[in-house]
Amino acid sequence: MSKTSSRDSSSSGNSAELIDRYLQAVRFWLPKSHRQDDLMAELGEDLRCQIEDKETELGHPLDKAEMAAILKRCGSPMMVAGRIGPQRHLIGPALFPIYEFTVKMVLLWILVPVFVIIVGPVNLANSGGDWASAVLNTFGDLWSGLFIAAGIITLVFAMIERTNTHLGAEIKWDPLKLPPVRTGERKPSPLKAVCQFGFNVFGLAWLLLLPKYPVLILGPAAALLRATPLLHTFYLPFVLLSVVALLRPGIILARPQWTWFPLLSPLLQSALVLILLNYMIEALAKTPSAYPFVVLQDAVRDSPKYFKLAGIVNLSILVSIACVWFAVCISAIVQTRVFLRHVRKRTSAASGIASVGVR
Amino acid sequence: MWYIVYVAYYMATGTASSEVFENLRMELRRGCLIVAVLAQLRCEQYGYTLRKALADDGLAIDEGTLYPLLRRLETQGLLASQWREEDKRNKRFYRLSAEGELILKQLLAEWESINASLNKILQEA
Repeated sequence: MSKTSSRDSSSSGNSAELIDRYLQAVRFWLPKSHRQDDLMAELGEDLRCQIEDKETELGHPLDKAEMAAILKRCGSPMMVAGRIGPQRHLIGPALFPIYEFTVKMVLLWILVPVFVIIVGPVNLANSGGDWASAVLNTFGDLWSGLFIAAGIITLVFAMIERTNTHLGAEIKWDPLKLPPVRTGERKPSPLKAVCQFGFNVFGLAWLLLLPKYPVLILGPAAALLRATPLLHTFYLPFVLLSVVALLRPGIILARPQWTWFPLLSPLLQSALVLILLNYMIEALAKTPSAYPFVVLQDAVRDSPKYFKLAGIVNLSILVSIACVWFAVCISAIVQTRVFLRHVRKRTSAASGIASVGVR
Repeated sequence: MWYIVYVAYYMATGTASSEVFENLRMELRRGCLIVAVLAQLRCEQYGYTLRKALADDGLAIDEGTLYPLLRRLETQGLLASQWREEDKRNKRFYRLSAEGELILKQLLAEWESINASLNKILQEA
């Protein structure tokens, strides 16, 4: 009799200890603010009731293995805390689309171009001819830059989430102001044409002012650098191209019934830019100079400290030309596809009308 | 060779479909569990007896789901709770509040309407 009672008391002591250890482990994973004592007391009571029921069912006090089986069925402490604790997320579903958009914009459209156009050429100019290490350094810097930028954006959004969870729901919008459904046949927009005209005038004015005010492209370095004959050779064709581009919105406005024109004209313009760039690249290949676009002004020609600056600017222009060539190639492919789709639609519509007429 | 490909495909699609079923089943159960808990708490009970009663009626629910649900329903004013000593142990007893009774009535009416609609749809099919 005394043996049984001592076994009972040691069993209840064991179960209490094991349950306490289990609850302590669950509590570890719960946030402090989440009414731990209240919840833990309730969970502990539930476990004690389960053990009691099992003991009644088996007709003897549970041993450690049997108690462990009950706790195991209940789940690992981390999992139980996850289910009991509040729903936690760094950035909620309301803010997540804006967060995703910002990350994409900053990483892909700001950071990567900055590294390709500015940091890369600077590293190359400072590498002293060691291109491989310059490229590796640029990639290393880009990698850490991407991580830091993503981290900062995430941190900012997490703070917004914590301070104002309902930001996403509060964004004002009007269903009546949603853009109309896109149809296959898009009419040329007069507003778009006017904007294009305005931008083209601005671009042409900028281009025409460049010879007199090189500061518009070189900034403060204009006092130290001047354009080479190669740039002078290609200046006039680029001005002519800008004048042609200026005519495009005018024709779109004057002939709105030419639905093919807004699709074909950018393709032709891209083709002209590509031809011009190819001539430029050919001319570059024939130029033996390390400074093909800009050289130092006569006043500072002998100053070695500005050689590096000239090198960086030349390299930046070279990389920019390569990027523009690549971008124009992609846009030409897209424009060709859009134009061909338009032609195909027109042809199929015309053949449809013809077949109806035959019937 | 083809046998292996077939078995791999079967396992992959089989696992995916069972996962889909499990997710849908959980979604279906979630709403029903709330109604079941509210209905059970028309009589005062504490957590463990409530869980046991639900399991006996075929709606087993684990601790990690039940206690946060009870908290939520209490915060919404549908339940009232009280810590009380029973068998020399402190237990938290829950019961349906007046507002909870009203909501339960509305939920049951909604459930019956959904059930009738579903039956109608299934008979039509």
